[in-house]
Amino acid sequence: MPPLPDFDQQIAPLLKNKCVRCHGPAKSDAKLNLALKTGIVRGGKTGKLFVPNDPESSLLWDQVADDAMPKGEEPLSAQEKELLYNWIKAGAPGLPGQVSETPDGDEHWAFQKLNPPLVPEVRDAFRVGTVLDRFLEARLEKQGLHLGPEAAPATLVRRVSLDLTGLPPTLEEIQRFQADAAPNAYEMMVERYLASPHYGERWGKYWLDVAGYADSNGYFNADTDRPLAWRYRDYVIRAINADLPFDQFIREQLAGDELVRYTPDKELTSRELDMLTATHYLRNSADGTDSSDGNEDEVRADKYAVLEGTLQIMGSSLFGMTVQCARCHSHKFEPLTHTDYYSLQAVIYPAFNIEHWAKTRDRQIPAVSPSVWRAAEESVKSFEAELAHRKQEHQEWLKAHPEPSLVVFADDFDAPGATLGPHWSNTAPGDTRPLGIPAVSVDSSMAPAVQISDGKLKVIESGAAGDRAISTRSVIDWTPDHPGGWVQATFELVEGAPYVGYLVALHDYSDEQPDQGGNVLFDGAASGKAQVYLDYPGVDSKQAGPIGQSGYTVGHRYGVRVTNVGEGQFELAQVVDSELEPNTVKVPESALPDGGFGFALCCGRSFVVDQIRIESSFDSAELAGEAAEAQLVRQAEQTAFAARLQEFEKQRPQMPGELAHVADGSELAPEVFLLERGNYKAHGAKVDASPPGFLQEQGGEPAFLPTPADLKSSSGRRLALAEWITRPGSRASALLARVTVNRWWQHHFGTGIAATTDNLGYSGTVPTHPELLEFLAAEFERSGWSQKAVHRLILNSSIYRQSSEASPDSLRLDGDGRLLSRFPIRRLDAEAVRDSLLAVAGEIDRHEGGPYVPTDRGGDGEVFVKQETAGSGRRSVYLQQRRTQVAGLLEVFDAPTLVFNCAARVSTTVPLQSLSLLNSPFVRLRSESFASRLEREEPSDVAARLDRAFLLAWGRPPTTQERQAALLFLQEQGDVYHDQAHATHHAWTDLAQMLFAANPFLYVE
Amino acid sequence: MSPFHDLALFASRRAFLGRSFGSLGSLALTHLLTEAARPSQAQARVQAGPLSGPHHRATADAVICLFQHGGPSQMDLFDPKPELRKRDGQPYEGDLEIHFSGQKGNVLASPFTFEKRGNSGLELSELLPHTAGIVDELTLIRSVVTESVDHESALRLIHGGRFQAGDPTWGSWVTYGLGSENQNLPAYVVLTDPGGLPVDGTRNWTSGWLPAVYQGTAFRPGASPVANLANPADVTPAARANQLRLLDRFNREHQDRYPGNTELAARIANFETAARMQAAVPEVLDLSDESEATRRLYGLDNPATAEYGARCILARRLIERGVRFVQLFLAGQPWDTHSNNAESLKGLCARTDQPSAALVLDLKQRGLLDRTLVMWGGEFGRLPISQGKDGRDHNRHANSIWLAGGGFKGGYSHGQTDEFGYKAVDQVVNVHDLHATLLHAMGLDHKQLTYPHDGRPGSLTDIAVTKAEVIRELLV
Repeated sequence: MPPLPDFDQQIAPLLKNKCVRCHGPAKSDAKLNLALKTGIVRGGKTGKLFVPNDPESSLLWDQVADDAMPKGEEPLSAQEKELLYNWIKAGAPGLPGQVSETPDGDEHWAFQKLNPPLVPEVRDAFRVGTVLDRFLEARLEKQGLHLGPEAAPATLVRRVSLDLTGLPPTLEEIQRFQADAAPNAYEMMVERYLASPHYGERWGKYWLDVAGYADSNGYFNADTDRPLAWRYRDYVIRAINADLPFDQFIREQLAGDELVRYTPDKELTSRELDMLTATHYLRNSADGTDSSDGNEDEVRADKYAVLEGTLQIMGSSLFGMTVQCARCHSHKFEPLTHTDYYSLQAVIYPAFNIEHWAKTRDRQIPAVSPSVWRAAEESVKSFEAELAHRKQEHQEWLKAHPEPSLVVFADDFDAPGATLGPHWSNTAPGDTRPLGIPAVSVDSSMAPAVQISDGKLKVIESGAAGDRAISTRSVIDWTPDHPGGWVQATFELVEGAPYVGYLVALHDYSDEQPDQGGNVLFDGAASGKAQVYLDYPGVDSKQAGPIGQSGYTVGHRYGVRVTNVGEGQFELAQVVDSELEPNTVKVPESALPDGGFGFALCCGRSFVVDQIRIESSFDSAELAGEAAEAQLVRQAEQTAFAARLQEFEKQRPQMPGELAHVADGSELAPEVFLLERGNYKAHGAKVDASPPGFLQEQGGEPAFLPTPADLKSSSGRRLALAEWITRPGSRASALLARVTVNRWWQHHFGTGIAATTDNLGYSGTVPTHPELLEFLAAEFERSGWSQKAVHRLILNSSIYRQSSEASPDSLRLDGDGRLLSRFPIRRLDAEAVRDSLLAVAGEIDRHEGGPYVPTDRGGDGEVFVKQETAGSGRRSVYLQQRRTQVAGLLEVFDAPTLVFNCAARVSTTVPLQSLSLLNSPFVRLRSESFASRLEREEPSDVAARLDRAFLLAWGRPPTTQERQAALLFLQEQGDVYHDQAHATHHAWTDLAQMLFAANPFLYVE
Repeated sequence: MSPFHDLALFASRRAFLGRSFGSLGSLALTHLLTEAARPSQAQARVQAGPLSGPHHRATADAVICLFQHGGPSQMDLFDPKPELRKRDGQPYEGDLEIHFSGQKGNVLASPFTFEKRGNSGLELSELLPHTAGIVDELTLIRSVVTESVDHESALRLIHGGRFQAGDPTWGSWVTYGLGSENQNLPAYVVLTDPGGLPVDGTRNWTSGWLPAVYQGTAFRPGASPVANLANPADVTPAARANQLRLLDRFNREHQDRYPGNTELAARIANFETAARMQAAVPEVLDLSDESEATRRLYGLDNPATAEYGARCILARRLIERGVRFVQLFLAGQPWDTHSNNAESLKGLCARTDQPSAALVLDLKQRGLLDRTLVMWGGEFGRLPISQGKDGRDHNRHANSIWLAGGGFKGGYSHGQTDEFGYKAVDQVVNVHDLHATLLHAMGLDHKQLTYPHDGRPGSLTDIAVTKAEVIRELLV
């Protein structure tokens, strides 16, 4: 029996010596970490390392027995092998019997507290400019390489400009930098771009990608509009431009409402309103709950999908981790448990309470302080009151100055003992058969009937059907002879009904004569407008459309005016209180034969009217003296009033807009339960709000600080998370710093220091330069979380200032450029392609912020911004970011289609990009404008124009060969277009387009 | 040289296969489109490129998917249920998962008669007289189940295996795995309905988190089926030729400074590809060389079938030219027969039955069916009870789908539903197993076909969750 090997004394040191370099915390090949007991028990990608008591079946033994491992190293000695064999044979003592399937957080490099490394020594100190360079140079020297030479000034200014602002440098910017002989000219140039408002537009967009920002709700096919999201986009751009400390930036987005102690009636500063706007971060998830239908379970699932989307965005943007696996079960690859997921969900649950769900439009508040909002409401109210007052005054004036007219018929039903019979009938003039069956009883109360009651005309109807009516006995001429002449019938509505019907030109109601026309019914509705029916009733009756706009309400005068508008046409206009309303219809003379006026009795529409008056205009020939004078005065006043009204409308105060935010609404947090297997109905244990266990500090201190006493109507949970995640010196803030600087490194160099920028967990890749990442993260925290400080560190380094051209050594020993022995050449991303095209063409609209510029989908499915749309030349970040409608040019150059969020973009090279550069109307239009700009700025000197063209598009003048090729091309195109009017312009357009399509434009060197 | 020269070689797929099928490896003629879409150098370190070839011998090289949005009513088309007739109008006893629960009706029999068809004797509804003629070519699965009764989620499940949006469709996976065989045409082509996009829009052919090059390219109805295919109106061919020469000069001088940069080289090559696409796409769309007999076969002489028939012919032409995956869609979701079920089905079958069957027949006659997989079906089935007066509601527990060619059995029916046709009870096929099997026919192992996503290998079937398996019984 061999002696029992001691794990700590013998086995652990052996593994550490022989294996941990490749299978350890820094470089976990095959996902194996042999530096830790739990790692040894858990095994790696290919499974468990050993079967206790059975070395022959154990992977560990199998690998070392025949010297397959350690790879490329001295094999284990016979003695060492024996030690290992015996240890397995003895059942691998000294290890924990069981470890959870989910790994621990304290094993992984990214989950540790920040541990700033010593700055490494380098052999050739003259090669390094900044501290940062030492990390790279030290690594390169190991490989027998060095940092490369500095790029040319023209290359540098284009690189920095596009990198920091997403726009190519202007001619002035290029010249200013090239002419600046100061030793810190480069650093000053970097500062200028960092101070540009366009910096925030580019770097804000990167955060917006990570935060899942979109201008639409997604989820369902309809992908409805999200009209207030732009305020969050502007907040982000402002914050980045102002270099708002990043920890504060995160706190505001998680809990801006709790930070400002928001309650609906609290007065807020503009900075505090900003912090409320910031919480829209938590609303960026797709959200279909406004249009959810289907059964209860589906509606519930749609709500949970919002919570899940939000958690996914939080996990990815804050922890650099995919959390959604833990929705159903503890994470297989990361130290995130099933409970952790729901504890995190419990943090945001009070703001997204499934049982008391608020739809998106109910999560909006004034975008100004309550007092400002109230003041605005007041001024709108007083404006409306003043408007009503002016209209009233005008009405009174009109009453006092009646339009001169001839009264053709009038009845006020007031004469003592009056009856209807003498003036009204249940037949139309000249018709023998009644107006509908049963005939209306006149002067009776036996419905259908009409009678005078209290000096008014009472229309009594009870039946559901029947097209009955009464008519005046008088025959009225409804078609004035001369253009401009009119006739109108009006009445006062005393008691209303849902519909009030009246007729003109009543004539041959029973349709005994073969002729058409007459019997024009106006069906006035309480809800607004009157529907006009010609030749009513009968199968030949037809609708002529609605007229007017006001609803028929008690206390007003209603009726119709028929005006001869010439060419045999008569316009029917609704008259309300002696005003003519818009929306009219025109009918021919034949529709309006001479006939009576009357009311319709139908369908239970009983109503009471009074003061019936039928008037007609004077013929102009007849109009004279005072009447003519009065008519002129009246017309003048009406014109003047219309003008005064229009002028006054301009002063209408606008209500301030709204903002979309997040708030709990109550200090009582609802109970949250773990969901078994993610099933919404399978409530498991109740969970408390807490951060993920693997990032909590060891040693008893509660993760979340207590809720501040002055926090009202909010649970304080998000504030607690925000404070926890940014707490200085903690593991959480260390991870946040690492995730963030690694993402920025990716934007500067194309690849993160750890390549999987969306995953710094166990399953992510290991950093190429771990100390560099650690150093940057520590500097970030030390600088007070200043993003611009990190940019300065990176951009001012010799690493960043290197040339992109590879030395033979660099190509041979650093083929893929991952060691950064040269600056990686990279294609412009989607937004930079579009924005650069606009900028070079001289068409960019540099207006900042505000509602999005809408995109359109053409009939052929292509998505674009219409040239005539206001703001069509604005930067891409301001275009509508509709999830299902990404502008074609941006999409083809790999702009993300947002479902959740986007932490790393791909950069593809596909023929559709070539087609778009060659044939898309957008590129062709920019080329044309670029040519015009060149002709404008260099009208005569062709050589100078060529220089300018290359300088604007590529940031440098042409080489001799390029110049010759361009000149030859201009000549060739001149020949092709020789018989056209603008041959030269056409040739320059074609040249400009090829400058855009060429790699020196599309790539940053 | 004429740009059609290469195409002539592809005029018959058999000729093509004869030329290149000698060794298995050459099947994976991963063309330039795919090649160029490899992640850039930097990304290549974190993302695997497309596969170098199939995992095993394939029985199908191409797919035509005739997708039927809305949920075709299986008990009126493919799955005869005499029990429904017996209990027509009676209350359904037992639990049903109902989408629109307020409109639960009684048992609703199919008004259509079923008959045994072909040598195999598979029973089909009278609504499908033309499909009846190809029944011996079909694997008819009557027991497909899914996990959602919501259209969008169910669509994402059947296309991409997950009910959330954002994952790649199986067309993207096939394209990623195998590339195309014609560098002048997109590898994954979608033929949309002139009436509009289907429900869930372009997500029906998204590449999700696979690189964008693997997403379906929708050929739009009309003159320019691919965006920016035609030269700008003011650029003559001669002017364009000069432009391309100048561009090539600019790019090559630039490239000389960065030797070994494959991305720059690929971009230069793409301009040549783009120019060839400009010729190849109009050629494939031009149906004028199709014979009168073919046109009649697909129903181009009948207004009811002409539009769908023309797209079915186009699908065949694309496959003949080496396109890997073609998918046809209908506008909206016409099979969603919540009301007026029977009458709606008559109209839909009158439009799709003949062209769908003609495609299978035509492929067979041209010797293409044995290497082309045709799939016909929707996202879920419908309920055996009525919704309102005369409609049928969604049903995720039973759905009928047919497959033809590409190594699938002929005249074979798989799976059974209960006596009402509500639930699949025997040989149940979930969408994940279906995906595994479809990939298998294409020579792809669903367990190995992965792409890095969220820091781990993402796949269509995600076996850790779905436990998906290939259904061997469906295959020859």
